[in-house]
Amino acid sequence: MTNRLAPSHSEGTEPSSGGPRIRATWRALVGHTAAAGVVVQDHRRERLMSWLFIAPALLFLLLTSVYPLLYSLRLSFFSWNMSVPNSQPVFVGLRNYTRLFSDPVFQSSLKTTLIFVASAVTLEFLLGMALALLVTSRIRVVGLIRTLLLVPLMMTPVVAGVLWRTLYHSTYGAINYFIGLVGIPAQTWTGNPEQALAAVITVEIWQQMPVVIFILAAGIQSLPLDFYKAARVDGASAWQVFREITLPLLKPVILVVLLLRIMDAFRIFDVIYTLTFGGPGRVTEVLSILIYKNGLQFFQIGKASAMSWLFLLFIFVIAIFFIRELQGREQEGTS
Amino acid sequence: MAAARTFVSQQRLGRLLLYLVTAAVLVAVAFPAYWLVTTAFKYEVDTIVSPPIILPLRGTLRNFTDVLRVEHIGQFFLNSALIALVSTGLGVLLGSMAAYSLSKVYMAYRIRQVIMIWILIVRIFPPITTAIPYFVIIRGLNLSDTHVALILTHTAFTLPFVIWLMLGFFQDLPDAIDKAAIMDGCSLWQRFCQITLPLALPGIAVTAIFTFIYSWNEFLYASMLTSRTAKTLPVVIAGYMSDKFLRWGEMSALAAMMVVPVMIFAGLTQRYLVRGLTFGAVKE
Repeated sequence: MTNRLAPSHSEGTEPSSGGPRIRATWRALVGHTAAAGVVVQDHRRERLMSWLFIAPALLFLLLTSVYPLLYSLRLSFFSWNMSVPNSQPVFVGLRNYTRLFSDPVFQSSLKTTLIFVASAVTLEFLLGMALALLVTSRIRVVGLIRTLLLVPLMMTPVVAGVLWRTLYHSTYGAINYFIGLVGIPAQTWTGNPEQALAAVITVEIWQQMPVVIFILAAGIQSLPLDFYKAARVDGASAWQVFREITLPLLKPVILVVLLLRIMDAFRIFDVIYTLTFGGPGRVTEVLSILIYKNGLQFFQIGKASAMSWLFLLFIFVIAIFFIRELQGREQEGTS
Repeated sequence: MAAARTFVSQQRLGRLLLYLVTAAVLVAVAFPAYWLVTTAFKYEVDTIVSPPIILPLRGTLRNFTDVLRVEHIGQFFLNSALIALVSTGLGVLLGSMAAYSLSKVYMAYRIRQVIMIWILIVRIFPPITTAIPYFVIIRGLNLSDTHVALILTHTAFTLPFVIWLMLGFFQDLPDAIDKAAIMDGCSLWQRFCQITLPLALPGIAVTAIFTFIYSWNEFLYASMLTSRTAKTLPVVIAGYMSDKFLRWGEMSALAAMMVVPVMIFAGLTQRYLVRGLTFGAVKE
């Protein structure tokens, strides 16, 4: 049964040999639509059925994501302190937003978020690229490396946070012990305003760098070998091979990795919540922590909703780039 | 001759360096997990000493028995498992049906495209941005501290992921058998249940594992929407920070008990890991 199925390259499936096998789902899908010539006898019934198939999911998403978002937009035009008993939302128009634009706390949080995302993703990418090249080159223990890298990635973020909190501990922590071995005096890390953000970024890199390694390694392994053979014949150096062959061919995968990592780095919450909760002072107070504090600690529902929406718009701009990238692959595929 | 020899020794040196660097990075990656596991087996007095004990020479199971004696801990374990299982089941059911529909050609291209972009956008938004409205809505519905509240929110976050991932898996299935079934007069529902689902079983399993892990690990909504009846393990772990933060042994034991099943599950998905991580955009 399965044997008969395997080799049939019908319209929907692309031949898997030759060329980078990195296929965007999008392209695969669209290619499918264009080529598929399924003859359907009972076309109208099938169409109706396919709507019935997707309706529950769409309805669910409508209720659980669109409705809350719209509700949040509504709330953002109100002033409402939920901690005051029997308080009612009061309409204030755009006041929440105009106040936020001149609010130094919001601005500094936005800045912290951007610094966090930019440095974490840059370092993750550089380290991840180096390691991806290593594991795809000559290392024989790839299985072991894979398993080791899975550990931080799959670790519950809250656990990662409390775990690193013990590692960073100024008296009983392992990190101060290790740096003590090479003569560096003990630091306070998460307690020091100058080190806290770097400490948080370190944890993020530790936990998320495997994502970059896994994806880039998969990309590198799917590159056609012919180019490499030719380059070796021509006597190209390893650096030249990387710059002239690997990097350009890997560009689509790199873009996917970067955009994914950027979007996910903005989501950071659990680790900072458990590690520093935004402190000391406001040094590590990224937007998600700021929104949490305003909305769920001080119950400034309107203000927190306005913050959420500004954050959303911000993410939306990046999301558009991501979607364009997925769709761009489709046009490349059909042209 | 001499040049050839230096070349060879240079290559050997380079390879040695390569191994050393990789080993160093891997030790750095693995150390926190090692620290977690060893702390879980340390005596309480051994967890808070300076300098810290890196290589513990004596161990105890005391921390684990202490964890099991924490009030309602059994219920919290059960809550975590139940919420993760139900939201995974719900997500995979709704998601694979939707993905199946999107993988077929009966819907107009434009409509499909709009639906898919919308689903993608839902996945991209940070969870904190819907936290406030959810908090207000769940409270208004009197669903605070119920399993239903967490199941709904977790499913809302995993459903877009399921749809996109399953789409890729369905797309990989050959068309021929589906066409044959159409010729035989099988309805869409029959084809979905009897052909596509069995064939896509590995994909479904992987998707289910990913969504289970998401729900099992989720903290923000769990901490916001639950207090006791539906409290899950991440909330319990976070609770160790405040009142009893120096009970590292007990905390690590609980954390280890929580993380180990996830690691085993994750190991099962290795083949499809990249696909899951990239939302189906990069296939291995």
